Amino acid sequence: MSKKVSITVKVNGEVFKADVESRMLLIDFLRDVLGLTGTKKGCDEGKCGACTILFNGSAVKSCLMFAVQADGSEIITIEGLSKEGKLHPLQEEFMKNIAIQCGYCTAGMIMVAYNLLKLYPKINEDEIRKGISGNLCRCTGYVNIVKAILSAAHRCEK
Amino acid sequence: MSNKIEDWRKRERDYPIVTGKALYTNDINLPNMLYCTILGSNYAHARIKSINVNKALEIPGVINIITGAELMDKINPLPTNSDYSKLGWHWRIPKVYPLAIDKVRFVGEPIAAIVATNSYIAEDALEMIDVEYEPLPVVVNPEKAMEKDAPLLYEEWGDNIQAYIKFIHGDIEKSFSKADKVLRVQLKEQRYSGFPIEPRCCVADYDERRNELRVWLPNQTPYQSRRYIASVLNMPESHVKVIVPNVGGGFGNRIVPYKEVIPCILSLILKKPIKWFESRRENFLSQTHQRDLKWDVEAAFKNDGRILSIRGRFIMDYGVEGTNRDAGSPAIVPAVRSIPSAYKLEAIQIDAYGVVTNKAPYGAYRGYGKDKGNRLIERVLNIAAREFNLSPEEIRFKNFIQPNEFPYRQITGYLYDSGNYPKVLKRALQLLNIEYWREQQRLLRERNRYIGIGLAFMVEPAGASIPYSIFTGIESAKVSLFTDGSIHVYSNTIDIGQHSKVAIVSVVAENLGVKPEDIKVIMGDSDIVGLGPWSSRGVIYGISAVVKATKALKLKILKVAAKILNENFENLYIKDGVIYSKSNSEKQISIRDLANRVYFFPGPQMTLTQDMLEKGETTLEAIASWFSPTTIKELSSVYTTFCCGADAAVIEVDLETGKVKVLKYVAVHDVGKIIDLASVEAQVQGGIAQGIGGVLFEELIYNEDGQLLTTTFTDYLMPTAIDIPEIEIDHIETPSPVTETGAKGMGEGPIIIPPEVIISAVEDALAPFKVRISETPLKPERIWRLLKCVT
Repeated sequence: MSKKVSITVKVNGEVFKADVESRMLLIDFLRDVLGLTGTKKGCDEGKCGACTILFNGSAVKSCLMFAVQADGSEIITIEGLSKEGKLHPLQEEFMKNIAIQCGYCTAGMIMVAYNLLKLYPKINEDEIRKGISGNLCRCTGYVNIVKAILSAAHRCEK
Repeated sequence: MSNKIEDWRKRERDYPIVTGKALYTNDINLPNMLYCTILGSNYAHARIKSINVNKALEIPGVINIITGAELMDKINPLPTNSDYSKLGWHWRIPKVYPLAIDKVRFVGEPIAAIVATNSYIAEDALEMIDVEYEPLPVVVNPEKAMEKDAPLLYEEWGDNIQAYIKFIHGDIEKSFSKADKVLRVQLKEQRYSGFPIEPRCCVADYDERRNELRVWLPNQTPYQSRRYIASVLNMPESHVKVIVPNVGGGFGNRIVPYKEVIPCILSLILKKPIKWFESRRENFLSQTHQRDLKWDVEAAFKNDGRILSIRGRFIMDYGVEGTNRDAGSPAIVPAVRSIPSAYKLEAIQIDAYGVVTNKAPYGAYRGYGKDKGNRLIERVLNIAAREFNLSPEEIRFKNFIQPNEFPYRQITGYLYDSGNYPKVLKRALQLLNIEYWREQQRLLRERNRYIGIGLAFMVEPAGASIPYSIFTGIESAKVSLFTDGSIHVYSNTIDIGQHSKVAIVSVVAENLGVKPEDIKVIMGDSDIVGLGPWSSRGVIYGISAVVKATKALKLKILKVAAKILNENFENLYIKDGVIYSKSNSEKQISIRDLANRVYFFPGPQMTLTQDMLEKGETTLEAIASWFSPTTIKELSSVYTTFCCGADAAVIEVDLETGKVKVLKYVAVHDVGKIIDLASVEAQVQGGIAQGIGGVLFEELIYNEDGQLLTTTFTDYLMPTAIDIPEIEIDHIETPSPVTETGAKGMGEGPIIIPPEVIISAVEDALAPFKVRISETPLKPERIWRLLKCVT
């Protein structure tokens, strides 16, 4: 049984205070404490990328962090990507390019792509493939995912 | 595909996913829910001497721990999913309990289950359970398991052969006597499986007041899974409901919920909701595996490259078993019967063995068994092409079943519905621009770069109806029109990623004449009679049933409209939800107004016809079921439609490292009439990626002690975005005469072809070194060893 620790985290623009066990993983905090179940669990060991979120502006795998490490940080999850009901170009392009099959990797893919587009607005196909290679998809063969990210990159650039 | 269908796909199917709102099983949290973990065996083969749970029970928050011995009297063993002994075959069925009773037979076999107030505590308790084992000799190699003094998994059997079938089709002796040349071909394929990104998960909620168990789980066939769970729990099926939320990938891995029955049992005992969500390690250890097979055959040829027949031996390694925890054992049948594929053979004779070893159970994985026979014949033909100095395409053109020969009764019993194999292969050659690449190969070799061109063909038997197994051919659909004009479609053709919802909406909109936005699809519920998606049967059974029900509803609607509008029934049509007269544009009524009149004023106002009232047909709904016409007469027909495909690729081998890089990949498929092009292409792309993963990277490696060495995605290499090339796709459409829409099942086809495409491409690239491949995966190390002639 581990001790509880108070943390304050800003998630999708909203500030949350909570007492969490020091061993609680960040993904479990997001999913089970805050109820943000859009972030998915695929391996719990940082290998599949389904739980990717934005942590202080960088893409991280939320199963590789403890919730207490997030104290004072700012997090964006898939639920926080659309603003006032308007979808982010990545969300729109994933739908348009049939980049979603079972959808389990989608949130992680979109979050890692979001970070890529922010860092490299003129990103090309090879760079996208490298950039998302830490995220596994079993359904699509990545073809349509890469197309979707490329289209979103072109739109974001304009 | 119309824009309206695209809008439907985005709004109804994809929007919840891209915004993180879609509900998967692990997203379900019920009040007072408890968490379950399952302890797996550390030994591959051992007797359980004792299990001490006392220390684990002392952990605050641990509610209960159960073991197999305690449960034995309370539950039934896992039911069997196939019993071919009824066909007179050698087919053994072990007695398997959800938790091991006295003996474990593979690492990860469930031994005890823990319930705690949260998942962390439940995991802590795993460490504190003390199991005393008496280790037994382990066997992980099927050929060793077949030896006389091998350790026995099931002592009562006397050997380790779960299945043995001697397949005899045609006169093999006579055929071989005509041979000009006999080639020996060996092919060994490693153990691997689907491993969806969503691990297995189950939420079980027993409601004592109603004596009803509700189970949420990602599953391909809730109707069958309810039967399975109810049977173990000894409950009436009517008191068990299985609900399938969004599913994070299926690939055949989610047919039988053998481990998921454990949280169900716990919920029944504790009368509380229980959640089980496995770890990835647990998934690798105890999810069912596939492939793991060896062919050793002789193929008889004429000197002009015509194939006559194939005979030999086939061994499948079932691991611990393939009949109860999943339905993997029957894959041995299509493995052999799909050998003739697209070609005219005189005979095949195969001794097929399904052998048990101390590894995880055998299940279904995309391809099931059809992949195995297809890959063997393609290997045989590619080797023969080299022997007879023919190109790989020439030898296929010589042996293809011709377009005018359909329907074609294959020697193994399958009745091929339609096809144009030469056309498909020709298109693939064009798409690749094969002559250009052959020239490039010559030029690059002068510069010491080794590129290779590979190609292969496949015929996919789809839509199975298999007697004496859970894979029967039942399927129903219900289509209802409500008073507000909205349409409900009930079908268990669950969307496990293949966009089946979109196909359903598409055929209902087209056949009924309504707007897609007025259609809602309800699926994933054991109360809907239907077996769901496997065997690529969605567009065969599921869609055919939906189309039949839709047409029946349309007939009802038009009969009523004919009366209301005082018009001839044949003179009416429906467009965008409005019924019109073909001759008088003033005569029209919306289906909404019609439904309103039927439901609120059916009798005295005489909305319905006299005939309908007398028959009691007062509702606007239709139920239909569909059965495969090709499987009715012959037991061996089994499959319904036979799509085909040809893939070709260019690869490069790095001689220094042995690494294979796929430079270009093209695929031409003939899936009959295409209902939704975007989802067909997505299936093709994903299937090819899985096929490439299977031939180049993925491998479940057991050591001699039966320990699985590949239990993370770092060890088990699933292809990433940098491993999969851009894939170019084209289609030929030869409609199926047997389905309602002309579509053919195609979900498994794409995974069948890539392994032989890549194997033959690597041999082609390394032709100057005479490298011959008989085993996969083609990891750099294997190729490097082949190049250096080191084993």
